Amino acid sequence: MTHKKFITFVSRSAPYGTHNAQLCLDMALACAVFDQEVNYVFLDDGVYQLKREQRAAAIKRKTLGNAIEALSLYGIENIMVDGASMQSRALQVADLVLPVTLVDRADISALLQASDVVFNL
Amino acid sequence: MKFTIVVYAAPYSSEAAHSALQFTAALLKAGHEVYRLFFFGDGVHNANRFTVTATDEENLPLSWHRLILDNNLDAVVCVSSSLKRGLVDASEAKRHDFDAGTLFDSSEIAGLGQLVDATTNSDRVVNFG
Amino acid sequence: MSCLHTINRSPRFAQLDSCSSLLLPGDAVLFIEDGTYYCSGPHKIPATMSGVELYALQEDMIARGTEATCVKEVTLANYSKFVELSCEFDKVISWF
Repeated sequence: MTHKKFITFVSRSAPYGTHNAQLCLDMALACAVFDQEVNYVFLDDGVYQLKREQRAAAIKRKTLGNAIEALSLYGIENIMVDGASMQSRALQVADLVLPVTLVDRADISALLQASDVVFNL
Repeated sequence: MKFTIVVYAAPYSSEAAHSALQFTAALLKAGHEVYRLFFFGDGVHNANRFTVTATDEENLPLSWHRLILDNNLDAVVCVSSSLKRGLVDASEAKRHDFDAGTLFDSSEIAGLGQLVDATTNSDRVVNFG
Repeated sequence: MSCLHTINRSPRFAQLDSCSSLLLPGDAVLFIEDGTYYCSGPHKIPATMSGVELYALQEDMIARGTEATCVKEVTLANYSKFVELSCEFDKVISWF
């Protein structure tokens, strides 16, 4: 690992219908383990990953909401949740597993510009 | 420039695996270096050597295999994605008592650390899904 | 740092809605695969994107029979140009 990079993950998929949300999380945690600077953005259907009271055992899956709580344990502190995506899905901050600050598109746009690499799924 | 290509898409489900192959070939033709190909999620099916296609249809896994060998590329399939999709190399096949490995030997099974390494050592990472 | 965004799904999937809200001056969008359907026919590319360079993958438009009807604000690019663009911009952000 020669160069430390500023890497942003934009997680845009709902938690269970596809495996994209899990893949995105796995990549981010791997980057964090290998000491990269990692940012995590929940956008579009990705905000559904944060919904409280998921019980994925009902479909024989692991509850992704629990795994999301691991982000900060792995040192990923810069977590952004898109306010417009929350609003259009009638979700409130109180509905989420994490205490988050909502951001607007300009914040996300600035983060993308500042990033060395962006994974978007 | 040094590129890493990440492929999330299976062949024959969407066009993306084909696009990734064309893009990689174009990179090499332009004289760029491919640091690593990383097959992730359903993308691991691109390394399935038991792929059979009609004679008039492109065999994408075989095309990848040839591109990798002809250009001596480093190609990795993600271990957690590949095993659960039946993509095993000879040693995994032996360990699980299967008759044969399903993976082209031009790709290697490895963990996400190889993607992080590729990300840190490449000028560009381009994703196809 | 400038971004090249690729869009690969048809307008039905609305990838461009989120993508376009995140573009900054100096960015570009390359439509590939079914994303090229944004580039033929009326009113699919938002007016807010007028300051952004727009490209469509020529091979994909030829395959779909839409090359001749590509809208004038979009420049056709083959794979070789796709490679050039991915070097010219500081990073590639793929929407899929």
